[in-house]
Amino acid sequence: MNTRQNKLAMLVLNNASLLLFAGVLTVFAAQSPQFLTGTNFANIIVQSSSTAIVAIGMTFVLLTAGVDLSVGAIMFVAAAVAGKMVTGNAPIWPALLVILVIGVVLGGVNAFFITRLKVAAFVVTLATLYLGRGFALWLTETRAINLPPGFLVLGTDRWLGLPLPIWILALVLGVAHLVLTRTPFGRQVYAVGQDVEAARKAGIATGRIFAAVYVISGFCAAVGGILSLAQLGAVSPTFGTNKEFSAIAAAVLGGTSLFGGRGKVFPGTVMGAVLIQTIENGLVILNVNPYFYPLLTSAIIFVAVLIDSLRASLLAKWNRRWIRVEEDLISNRS
Amino acid sequence: MITFEGITKSFGGVPVLRDVSFAVPPGRTVGIVGENGAGKSTLMNILGGNLQPDRGSMRWEGEVYAPRNPRDAARRGVAFVHQELNLFPNLSIAENLFLTTFPKLGRLPLIDRATLHRRTAEWLEQVGLTHPPDILVDRLSAGERQLVEIAKALSLDAKLIILDEPTTSLSAREAERLFALMGRLRERGIAMIYISHTLPDVLRLCDEIVVLRDGEVVGSGPRADFNIERMIALMVGRSLNQLYPERRAAPVEKAGEVILEVRGVTQPGIVRNVSMNLRCGEVLGIFGLMGAGRSELARILFGLDPCEKGDIRVAGQSVFGAPPRRRIQRGLAFLTENRREEGLCLEATIAENITLVSLRQYQSNRVGLLNMGRLREAVNAIRGAVRLTPTAGNEAPVKILSGGNQQKVVLAKWLLAKSGVLILDEPTRGIDVGAKFEIYQLIHELADNGAGVLMISSELEELTGICDRLLVMRRGEIVAELRREAFDGERILAAALGETVETGAP
Amino acid sequence: MATVKRLLLSEYFVLFLSVAYFAALAPFTPGLATADNLGNVLATLLPLFIVAMGQTLVLISGGIDLSVTSIIALCSITGAAIMNGDHGWLAGHPLAVPAALAAMLLVGALVGLANGVAVTKLKMPPFIVTLTGMMFFSGLAVWLTQSKNIGNLPAAFNRIGGNTVIAFTITVLLGVVAHLMLTRSLWGRWLYAVGHNARTSLISGVPVHGVVIGAYMASGLLAAVAAVMYTGQTESGSPVLAQRLLLDIVGATVIGGTSLFGGRGKILWTLYGVLFLKLMDNSLNLLDLSHFTIMMVKGAVILFAAVMDTWRTRAPA
Repeated sequence: MNTRQNKLAMLVLNNASLLLFAGVLTVFAAQSPQFLTGTNFANIIVQSSSTAIVAIGMTFVLLTAGVDLSVGAIMFVAAAVAGKMVTGNAPIWPALLVILVIGVVLGGVNAFFITRLKVAAFVVTLATLYLGRGFALWLTETRAINLPPGFLVLGTDRWLGLPLPIWILALVLGVAHLVLTRTPFGRQVYAVGQDVEAARKAGIATGRIFAAVYVISGFCAAVGGILSLAQLGAVSPTFGTNKEFSAIAAAVLGGTSLFGGRGKVFPGTVMGAVLIQTIENGLVILNVNPYFYPLLTSAIIFVAVLIDSLRASLLAKWNRRWIRVEEDLISNRS
Repeated sequence: MITFEGITKSFGGVPVLRDVSFAVPPGRTVGIVGENGAGKSTLMNILGGNLQPDRGSMRWEGEVYAPRNPRDAARRGVAFVHQELNLFPNLSIAENLFLTTFPKLGRLPLIDRATLHRRTAEWLEQVGLTHPPDILVDRLSAGERQLVEIAKALSLDAKLIILDEPTTSLSAREAERLFALMGRLRERGIAMIYISHTLPDVLRLCDEIVVLRDGEVVGSGPRADFNIERMIALMVGRSLNQLYPERRAAPVEKAGEVILEVRGVTQPGIVRNVSMNLRCGEVLGIFGLMGAGRSELARILFGLDPCEKGDIRVAGQSVFGAPPRRRIQRGLAFLTENRREEGLCLEATIAENITLVSLRQYQSNRVGLLNMGRLREAVNAIRGAVRLTPTAGNEAPVKILSGGNQQKVVLAKWLLAKSGVLILDEPTRGIDVGAKFEIYQLIHELADNGAGVLMISSELEELTGICDRLLVMRRGEIVAELRREAFDGERILAAALGETVETGAP
Repeated sequence: MATVKRLLLSEYFVLFLSVAYFAALAPFTPGLATADNLGNVLATLLPLFIVAMGQTLVLISGGIDLSVTSIIALCSITGAAIMNGDHGWLAGHPLAVPAALAAMLLVGALVGLANGVAVTKLKMPPFIVTLTGMMFFSGLAVWLTQSKNIGNLPAAFNRIGGNTVIAFTITVLLGVVAHLMLTRSLWGRWLYAVGHNARTSLISGVPVHGVVIGAYMASGLLAAVAAVMYTGQTESGSPVLAQRLLLDIVGATVIGGTSLFGGRGKILWTLYGVLFLKLMDNSLNLLDLSHFTIMMVKGAVILFAAVMDTWRTRAPA
């Protein structure tokens, strides 16, 4: 019957990312036994943790139909400051605290220009991208900073058998998911992204919501910067470059709409980030020519979004039909 | 309960409200009627805290009431059910209802889902909806969404509810349900302000009536003081002998030639075996209740939606399967039921909107560049033909116009294209009485000049008022056809409800 | 006061800003106002303006084209691969240069076509389509050249591509054509309409898909033209050519006043935006400021200009 076919198709499309994930895993696993090991997976998650966290923050912004192009720059500033402090013999924990504050402050700067001065998010975060990168380059004097092993501990330490970055990711993910699904603020974020005028009329403090998401994004960028720094062990002048695109790609891959109002961090965004990393990881294991990485990654992202667009247009077409059927049933009963 | 005293407001030097004063007694329902542009929306926005008056004041139960934003108004107990639905389709019913008032788990900022569910179910029951509280609003029909809007107003523990054109998307049954609900609310002592263009409803529901014209109160008093004629007369400022222009008969030239032929059009789940003929100079109406498939049929005829089988011919040539562009070239025109989303480019100018369909005809021969001079002349001529308000220039963005004028712009667009067949879907929705009359006149003029007009409407009186022939649709099929001489409101309604089936020759 | 207000609100604001900036900085900046320097500014401004023109068209349609920089790279290496003296496919052949030019334009048009089709027929969001496009074609260019530049291009090409006078003429020509297309042609009016409301346009008989695909193809073609200039200036085909310019391109277009939401934009505005950005870039370089200071100033200026622009459009008439 028509509806059963439709339901199957919708099931496939709704879980396309998951299926893609499974597909990619199968292909890689078939080619190399090394792929399916627990250690490898743990590696993948660790490697994707920084992008995943930044992408989680970006998800908040995207949900309001905004965009934050400055996350990579915020990561860089955060890492540069951390590098300077730690190599200057400052203790690690205060340095981390400072980084988080920096993330919040820079996010706040974005928020100020976007909500108070009402400049388009694209332009504001573009500008802070320049400002941030410039500042960080000045801080590091365009040279790389190598971090002492005491800092790298963050990347390699284990807790209950799992590497620290996985715990941090889990924490950030858990809080973000809770906020988005179970708090009034989170639900209002979805409302604002869907229709900002209606949200305002409904009495939502839209300005505060917009401001909050950029601060969250800045914060997450800082956390992501810490994790990335801990894994790389050094701050180079290209730290964090193009991270904004990876974050956006991960979120969109995970089902977040660029138009706002739709998207989840779990499984959504996190899965998107892990998927991208899985592909890269698999490519490395399979000894694929590194030149092919961007080609394959972009192709996969393209396919994922294509599937999502297909899903959206089919859903629109079928919903119309269902409404009619229901009404038919109602008039039957009358 | 609430009194308005001398409310005055201007926008950019143009006075919109002038010294408006009246009162809404507690527990009473006051109807406000007036043409679009009379100031109703502005007044309600002031009441609801969206705008502040330049002069004048409001009193709530004797005390000064001056809300700075919607939240202030909500806190006092004013709930505004807007004409344009303010629901979020990506959220559930429960989340829509309690978006700013979520029940929380103790001191934590977490939503108490059990309580949320329970309270939502209570409100849904009051408005007669049986959907589960966590269903996404996305899945609801327009009528159901309106009921959710009202449930939302109720849930805010409102003492005064403003209903702005609530019945536009409701079926007759849903409207009755709403009215019954309003009766129960009155008994509970809730005051209401009811704004509507459906004057019979206003007479029926309201205890008192206020008529606005050009920002002033031109008549107010108990219901008994009013009847339809008086309300219209006050609204328009002159007495209208009739709501509808007289329908003269004979069209010119291609008299009676079939310009649109529809045969056995079927799209599973939408329409079934629809056949009809439309002749030049004829105004053919399509009536039906919500969900009858009228708009869907229109979209199929125009090529926006797929059609599985059948034939559609314009001036003898088949357009079945052709995209809208081709059908326009053959002479088809489509005025959709939502002019803001599909009929206009709101941010574009009046001139840009009017010329959108016909641009090709204004190219100079040489390089294909547009002849701006000829375009301008054409726009000015058409503006006159539809009697578009002269206060807005050609370069003004269309979004600043009133509903009636916006609709005229859409009509002008198709007029300029010199279409032979015009499909009009709810052409007078959300338009005041004065502008409605003008649009009826335009429709007649179009027909008299040889075009065929297919008019879809849910207002039976409107269709019987201006059409030559009427088709009734029900559940995707044509169930009755009547000629003007045989127009009978009861028979038509019965056919729409499915109580009698009449098959006349097409 | 009224004149100042009128100035600030006019659409020439960014132009005035550029002039004012130039006038303010000239006395303090050694070498700014010299013919030599201005010639340099012009040389780098022209290709940037050409790409930004294409971006303007796409933005007006309601989309965005993030792939332009990788189109430039791809075109550059394609042309170089054909005509270079070492292993070029047509090395030494008299038709090498024209063939290379044709190939470059073809590449730009094809990528633009692909972008356009994905956005219209496949209904995908332009941001993602062109983002993945950027990643893909950039990766492609790098792979095809194994990260190496292709030098030894025919002197004829370098003379044409690197010649400022020719570039200027071409730019003016393209600018005038683009301007006319936008303001006086059928396609231009359709483009604005689609950017305003694609559904209304469809119902009004506008060939929406064709119009949008045209915009993306134009963007690709213009990127190809810019590639010719950049390649001629640097005298080599490079897979990372123009890599850092993406944000400059979009930023300049937006600062000029073209809306990211579609339906609003003019070629002239983009010219002012590009002019402003280049002037700033150049002046800061001459002031011998460090690379990072320049970045920071750029960021601050973009912010300032955007705030001014928002303030202008929201200020009561």
